[in-house]
Amino acid sequence: MTLAMRIALLLVTAVTISVAAQDSTPKPPAAADWAALAKLPDLTGVWEAPTVGRGGQGRAGGPPPVPELTPAYAAKKRELDARNSDDTEAANCLPTGMPAIMGHPYPYEFLLTPGKVTIVSEAYMQVRHVYTDGRPLPADPDPTFNGTSIGRWDRDTLVVETIGFSPLTTIARNTPHSDRMRIVERFRLTGPDTMSIDTTVIDPEALTKPWTTTRTLARHRDWTIREYICEENNRNFLDAQGKAGVKLDAPVKKE
Amino acid sequence: MRPISSGGVPWLVTAMICGVATLAWSHHAAAPVFDMSAEKTLMGVVKQVDWTNPHIWIWLDVQNASGQVERWGLEGMSPNFLARRGWARTSLLPGMRITVTFRPLRDGKAGGMFMTGKLENGKILTSVGAE
Repeated sequence: MTLAMRIALLLVTAVTISVAAQDSTPKPPAAADWAALAKLPDLTGVWEAPTVGRGGQGRAGGPPPVPELTPAYAAKKRELDARNSDDTEAANCLPTGMPAIMGHPYPYEFLLTPGKVTIVSEAYMQVRHVYTDGRPLPADPDPTFNGTSIGRWDRDTLVVETIGFSPLTTIARNTPHSDRMRIVERFRLTGPDTMSIDTTVIDPEALTKPWTTTRTLARHRDWTIREYICEENNRNFLDAQGKAGVKLDAPVKKE
Repeated sequence: MRPISSGGVPWLVTAMICGVATLAWSHHAAAPVFDMSAEKTLMGVVKQVDWTNPHIWIWLDVQNASGQVERWGLEGMSPNFLARRGWARTSLLPGMRITVTFRPLRDGKAGGMFMTGKLENGKILTSVGAE
């Protein structure tokens, strides 16, 4: 290849990359995009499960159904159950990831901006980024605790689809997921200040059928999200043998 | 300030206690470390309050049966949770005398999970709120 040909090839490649980048770059929001938000159901504000602090967080009508596991994943669960760990790594301040992040006895703030819904979870100071600008889910996202999410509006319901989960997250206690796990959530206002969230976990390797649970949240217009640094003064721990404990060493010095 | 043996205390807000027993703690499981079926009572003087996440810690000086002062540590919910339910950073201050009920640590050390506290002025603080 001559030098001229190499330069020509480089130029063509550069132009191609540039065009591709332009195609995938979201447009900046216009005034109409901000105005369109007013027509959507108003999910904004700070929400918390109404049962928090009043005896747990079971859903109305009894406890949620238990996920039905395939034989291979039932065996994995039995193996983990047999280790008889006292607790989870959350005791060591590791965030739970999806789907457990949506089950905390702490509030969530929902923010709507053009092309995006942002869910701020107070517990562990977590953020979920849900893109509603019409982009598809990536084919093979890097695995993360909260996964990669897109959302769309199905009339009055925000439907969020999430894939790509870290192997450090679980479907439920001692219940691992496969890399094919997909979670579909349906967020819907059921009253002026109540929202219902139907969460369906789909995992053809781990579950014999999709597992759906429902949680209701109540809006608190007068609340704000507070800081939550788990490492600030965490005296709880789970050791490598699965034994939980509490450290009673010298308290944080105030003087 | 002498420790009171465990047992019923008339001012306990029993309804609230029932609520506490199944309260979901997002951060850690209570039962492996605290004896959730036991309830003990102590009288002491507040030495320090850590108004911190993921849990508040109340440090008390408690005189034991032989007259020595022991340091007790009690874990409560988070400042986030409590500040929305009637507690403030200044609800408990060093020097205040308090009678507390708590779930004792399973390992027998001088600590536990805070359930209720009664101040000298009669004000009652619970793990799910304050009066």
